[in-house]
Amino acid sequence: MLAGSALITATSLGYFDFESLPPFVIERMPDRFASLWLAALRVHVAAALISFPLCLALTTRALQKRAAWHRWLGRSSGVLVLFALVPSGVVLSFNAKGGRVVAAGFLLTAAIVAWAMARGIVAARRGDLVSHRRAMRHVVAQMSVAVVSRAMLLGFDAVGVDPDLAYVIALWGPVLASVAVVEIVSARSGSLRSVANLVAKLLERIRRDLSPSALLLRARGVARPLLRLGR
Amino acid sequence: MSLVPSFASADEPSLAEWALQRVEDGLVKPLAHFETHTFSRSRPPPRERRVRVLQSTALLDKNKRSFVPFAIDVRFGSGEWHENDIVGCVYAGAGKLYVKRGDGYRPASFLLGKNEDTVQGVCEKAD
Repeated sequence: MLAGSALITATSLGYFDFESLPPFVIERMPDRFASLWLAALRVHVAAALISFPLCLALTTRALQKRAAWHRWLGRSSGVLVLFALVPSGVVLSFNAKGGRVVAAGFLLTAAIVAWAMARGIVAARRGDLVSHRRAMRHVVAQMSVAVVSRAMLLGFDAVGVDPDLAYVIALWGPVLASVAVVEIVSARSGSLRSVANLVAKLLERIRRDLSPSALLLRARGVARPLLRLGR
Repeated sequence: MSLVPSFASADEPSLAEWALQRVEDGLVKPLAHFETHTFSRSRPPPRERRVRVLQSTALLDKNKRSFVPFAIDVRFGSGEWHENDIVGCVYAGAGKLYVKRGDGYRPASFLLGKNEDTVQGVCEKAD
């Protein structure tokens, strides 16, 4: 995913060349509100180029162990996502190629990212790390749509699928699949956690029951009446 | 009528042939170099492009300049042709190319990455 993010970065640098227009801009730039659209595109690209690798880094153990770093980088990416990435993405979605079906797909992914980011922040502030993890998985999964979708478009082009159809499938497929994957992973880790808790309780009980002191106490409890009988 | 000199000799290409060649050289070939397969959401380059010259005789615009309208169709994979992917016109003489974008026409170099504005009155037949 990090390699995909780096590839997107490399191919997106052309958006900041103010002298020429890259093919994507030529293809999509609307006649009306062209300046607003171009500004939204540049904000969206810049925000994505920073926030996506940052969010990927935040999922690593190395950063999760360093709580202060995790907190500050998390706050930065939260601000970037909620106040730059999502609003600019919403502006761009209204002029998406493919009409309302594609626009709805982009709006859905934006809504999931905004909802999950807000929920994740609230959960982190509450100290509810299970909900925080689940929400942030949704954010990263929806961000990963950018990579998966582009890879799918290249694949569809290689096998000669019509680009208009490919564009719809390569957007909706990863958006819905990402939601499903996160929910399955979260449910599994949730049930795994409850199984692990159950096993831990059982082991603790066994340990308590079979500890040398407990055995000694029990042995005494059995031996005492016998000793009394022998007297 | 026989005294009217002809502009085209037997060896010279017709206006339609000239326009076709001009669009091929001035737009289709440069576009093929400009468009590449990249890791982006932009449309992949088509496998094929074909030029259709829409008039065999030149039309006159408001400034009495003669032009020939054309259309470029594209094909992706082995699928059907998508007609009128690009429409525009080529001016006789200088061979200037314009392409339609929204409601107006821009110099064809717009499709090659130059930020060109709409040019008023071009490619529009005078009433």
